[in-house]
Amino acid sequence: MRRFFKAMVGAGLTALTAIGCQPAQAQTKEPIPVGVIANLTGMDVKTSTDMVRGIQIAADTVNKAGGVDGHPVKLIIEDAQYKTQEALNAATKLYDVDKVTAIIMFGGSSIELAVAPIAKQKGKMIVNTSSSSAKLGDFAGTVYSVLPLDDIVGKALGEWVASQGVKSAAFVVPNNTFGTGLMDASAAAFQAKGGKIVAKIAYSEGQPDYRADLQQLVASKPDAIVTTGYGDDSRTVFKNARGLGLKQIWYAGYPSILTVENEAWMNGRLTGVDNGGLTGKVAKEVGEEYAAKYGKDEQPLPHVFYGYDALMLIARAAAAPGGLSSATMGKSVVGYDGATGTITWDDRGQRIDPPIDIISYKDGKFVTVGQK
Amino acid sequence: MLDFLIFAVTMISIWSVVALSLDLQFGLTGLVNFGQILPFALGAYGPAIAAAHGFSLEEGIVLGLVLAAAGGLVVLVPAGRLSQDYWALVSLGAAELFRLLMVNVAPIAGGQDGTAVPRVSDPVVAMVLAVALLAAMLLLARRIDRSPLGRLLRVLREDELLAATLGRNPFRAQAVITLVSWLMAALAGILYAHIVGYVAPSSFTVGETFIVWTALILGGAGSLVGAVVGTAFVQIISVSTRFVADWSGLPFDLVANLRLGVFGLILVLVFLFRREGLFPERKVTIHAADP
Repeated sequence: MRRFFKAMVGAGLTALTAIGCQPAQAQTKEPIPVGVIANLTGMDVKTSTDMVRGIQIAADTVNKAGGVDGHPVKLIIEDAQYKTQEALNAATKLYDVDKVTAIIMFGGSSIELAVAPIAKQKGKMIVNTSSSSAKLGDFAGTVYSVLPLDDIVGKALGEWVASQGVKSAAFVVPNNTFGTGLMDASAAAFQAKGGKIVAKIAYSEGQPDYRADLQQLVASKPDAIVTTGYGDDSRTVFKNARGLGLKQIWYAGYPSILTVENEAWMNGRLTGVDNGGLTGKVAKEVGEEYAAKYGKDEQPLPHVFYGYDALMLIARAAAAPGGLSSATMGKSVVGYDGATGTITWDDRGQRIDPPIDIISYKDGKFVTVGQK
Repeated sequence: MLDFLIFAVTMISIWSVVALSLDLQFGLTGLVNFGQILPFALGAYGPAIAAAHGFSLEEGIVLGLVLAAAGGLVVLVPAGRLSQDYWALVSLGAAELFRLLMVNVAPIAGGQDGTAVPRVSDPVVAMVLAVALLAAMLLLARRIDRSPLGRLLRVLREDELLAATLGRNPFRAQAVITLVSWLMAALAGILYAHIVGYVAPSSFTVGETFIVWTALILGGAGSLVGAVVGTAFVQIISVSTRFVADWSGLPFDLVANLRLGVFGLILVLVFLFRREGLFPERKVTIHAADP
């Protein structure tokens, strides 16, 4: 037993010693450390992983081109496990030990909002690639978003649904900042165009069955269902809806992140607004790089492109006179046309006027059928 | 690096207080509480509700303590009627109910988005406050542990019927210790809220309760030092594996999963080879003539 304890203590000391003994980089110029916090275990793993892959593609591109003024970009990737405490641990390590100036984060919002005050106090930056809470706009000079917040996408969704001749709609979303934020914005836009809302269902994520929630849809008899969500949950929701005999069209915010449960049943039934600009030159190059690295069968999620743009914006800001700082980051988007199209930030660092595509599910895949 | 160590000590101190509060209930009294995150959350939501509705910092602290005391009494009621295992489920359900209430009723404190709370911005001050709280709670817990109440609680833990035949009221003793331990956890929650500067329901899931349980069992249930050592052990292993992962050179997604795997493996090994915990409870001999 004593030997076991000695071994445990030894292992602990080795781990702690390692903190101060990271291998030196064989680079001519000192690397620029960039932190990445994502949910690599827990929830949202697939989307987080794709976001990190996009960042890695961007970092490789920058480094192959000689880095930022000769300084290579060095990524330090940390897992948040979709837990506030772990995100705080990761951010504190990145800022205090790795001395990063900027962190690219994959949320959710509640996790990013917990890290943001620390970043603000330290005068560091967070580039947000996934969270959409309007509260992120309260951290001007700290949080910069490469994706639009819920109010913009939700408004586009609500107006578009109304334009399709839908008179009444029921909403089905996960009960979190993303789901309810998008629902509120799209419902307001739909109502402003004369639409009637007959049900609003915000379900708790991670349940094995949603029939109790979806019964309201049967009773309210909407013309259409408006939804958003994530892979596993959306698959269950669709399965339960099919089981209940619902035949309405599903209009979605970000349909590409939903998981279709039954291709034949969903064919022509799922459509919605999604991140646009992914058909441009840069996106094509990133897509090819992704296919070369991870295989052609692996369809990249839009998060690949958001991750790519996030790192590219950091590289642009780092190359600006004065180096990577809040001032240079605020201006780094000027003239930037990336994998997700042209990015414009308002004075809070939040994206406005994003390109938005209309996509539909047909014959086993999503196809772009228009722009909003 | 020093800043990071300061942060680590701060977090270890705060979570140690929660582990101590659970130790008083489970280790000392035998009350199985699967919802110990609830008083921690109630404490944290005091400042959050105060911040969301324009009340002062002091009012937030008082609110946190009042909420925890009230919550403790409400959850305690079934303890008088239910056996231990049912109370474990009641406490588990109560914690989840509160979290869902905070998720769904946004006007209380921002719903899923959470709410910002005034931060203790100086990390050293935050650490001093956390360590001071831990020291005070350790002293309080030790005092209870060595008092006649502590002895009664141990009797309750071993044989509730025996305690009743000695003319003691088991429910009253359980109520006292529940109230004390919930206020301890609430104080930790209040400080946590002010150190992090942000309170949201996602910070108070059932998973957090079980991390505290892991720390307590690992340290040695019934031992005050064990509760602190167990918490420190869990936190240090959790954090240090991040550094090991840094220089492994393996793919990032594999490293993330391996890190959790290694963390779990270490815990399993300790549980296998040190079932009584790192600092097992020591037998206390008390002579009748002792004061």
